[in-house]
Amino acid sequence: MKPITYLIIFLCFCACSSDNSNGNNANTGDDDPAVVTNPLLDFTVPSNFPDATYSIIQNPPTEKGFELGKKLFYDGQLASDGVVSCGFCHIQSFSFTHHTHITSHGVDGQIGSRNAQPLHNLAFMNEFTWDGAATFLDTQPIIPITAEVEMNETVSNVLSKLAADDDYPTMFEEAFGSEGISADRMFKALSQFMVMMISANSKFDKLERGEAVTFTDEENAGRAVFDAKCASCHAGTLQTDQSYRNNGLPVDPEYNDIGRERVTGVASDNRKFKVPSLRNIEITFPYMHDGRLGTLENVLDFYTDGMVDSPTLDDQFRRPDGTLGLDITTEEKVQLIAFLKTLTDNDFIEDRRFAEF
Amino acid sequence: MKKAITLLVGIATLLLACNNDESGTTPADPGNLNLVFENTVNGASLMMDAMTYTNSSNENYGVSELKYIISNITLIKNDDTEYIYPVADSYFLINEEGNKTANLVDVPADTYKAIKFGIGVDPTKYPIESGTLNFVPLAEEAGMLWTWSAGYKFLKFEGTYSNATTPDETTPFLYHVGSHGATLDNYKEVTILISELQLNSNSTASKTIQFDVAKIFDSLHTLSLEEKNEIMVDPINAPKIAENTSAAFSIIE
Repeated sequence: MKPITYLIIFLCFCACSSDNSNGNNANTGDDDPAVVTNPLLDFTVPSNFPDATYSIIQNPPTEKGFELGKKLFYDGQLASDGVVSCGFCHIQSFSFTHHTHITSHGVDGQIGSRNAQPLHNLAFMNEFTWDGAATFLDTQPIIPITAEVEMNETVSNVLSKLAADDDYPTMFEEAFGSEGISADRMFKALSQFMVMMISANSKFDKLERGEAVTFTDEENAGRAVFDAKCASCHAGTLQTDQSYRNNGLPVDPEYNDIGRERVTGVASDNRKFKVPSLRNIEITFPYMHDGRLGTLENVLDFYTDGMVDSPTLDDQFRRPDGTLGLDITTEEKVQLIAFLKTLTDNDFIEDRRFAEF
Repeated sequence: MKKAITLLVGIATLLLACNNDESGTTPADPGNLNLVFENTVNGASLMMDAMTYTNSSNENYGVSELKYIISNITLIKNDDTEYIYPVADSYFLINEEGNKTANLVDVPADTYKAIKFGIGVDPTKYPIESGTLNFVPLAEEAGMLWTWSAGYKFLKFEGTYSNATTPDETTPFLYHVGSHGATLDNYKEVTILISELQLNSNSTASKTIQFDVAKIFDSLHTLSLEEKNEIMVDPINAPKIAENTSAAFSIIE
């Protein structure tokens, strides 16, 4: 459908809202001069991207909804200790992951078993978290808010804190056109903030769109290696086919993480984790679901020489001679890393719209 | 051009649909309907903790917790048309030790012959569309959410059991059944025929729906606690419990 069609349909729905509670942009302010305007934000899919998976039409980001979502994202009140906000582990300068710990820290110094994933291009993902435990972006925040080793809070208690806050009641009203703080509105606002976090201005993107950039010989060579040896899983513009795979990491007995099997209960999903997007990969170290590999060199060395066998290991890693791993030469590794660095989007990590301060 | 006309007609319909106050005839005022869920074993009210029951695997069990989610309530009229209760308001937590009634308000006065409802939360629907986000706090307080997954427990059924050979040795059991994404979908819908229900304006009717707890173990499938006393994310057994559960509802009239 063309954008104009979306707009017309959206306006029709707005016209139907007699009480303003559904029309995010229906704050006309006819009777009350104090009512603020709340324009829709421009959610545009980059021309080299696939269609969004998030249903923008059901929760169109607005200026005030985005502001509210951003405040919630950076607010420690969402955690039991009043400190560990979403932004505590998801730091913009690292494309919304963090570097200081291998696995992520929660309240009371507790340590989780997995490494916080970067947050970018979430509007294009089918499922969320390393094992796909959240099917929808709108419900994903339930996991970190309630997990003991993360924010260790309850949604009900968060809502009580927000209702008692000086700023939130007004911000919810401005964002949604009527009074009231609810779980529905809180999750919608968080989604409005997160779907706007599109990273699409790397050198790689510009080349894909035919803008005035050129790859060096090394980057081009790296891209060819990538297409031949990595792109079967790290597929497409977002470098992920969004599947779950076992890439042969030795099991860390400290966590004994069964991966996707926890979600599906199926033994064939044992030790499988989501194929991550490689967007901004240069700055999102440490790598793997548990952050065990510190550098891109470590990652590539692991793929050539570090795998261990298990029943669910992806067949692509089995060599004809029975050994495991990918065949990538030392020279090709250097080239690959040069290519991977073209995926860094400095505009995104410096974008003031998403900044905490 | 054809597309443009279709679009225009669509818009006109939408706009007309908005003018619900200006129609000539005023329909009768709506009424209310209370759906009361009564948890039973073999026809008698469930007694928590105090009683033990026996399943077909010859295991004695007592129940310490029983909760389930009812959703997507639809009333089927005598003329086979349906009244879909507002979806966002249709989520009810039934708790043996708490609320056991789904209060439906402003139901159109009409004659109804069947009630359709879901057990659990339809996992395929976008949460904004299905209006489940506001159900999160209630489900959370009742322990009906998993903290590691953004999903609901549709049924929470816990207690202790012993087998015939060691009757004095009791062991805890725990069934938590829900859906996990699209891969393990245990959401079920059931339709229950009722004797003609004439719902009148400005009045509240009541229907009692029986949930036969014994059928969780013994219905379409037989589940033995000795074989497995803890069932949660389980692609083999959780669907059996979900199917048994959906066969456990009937009307008491």
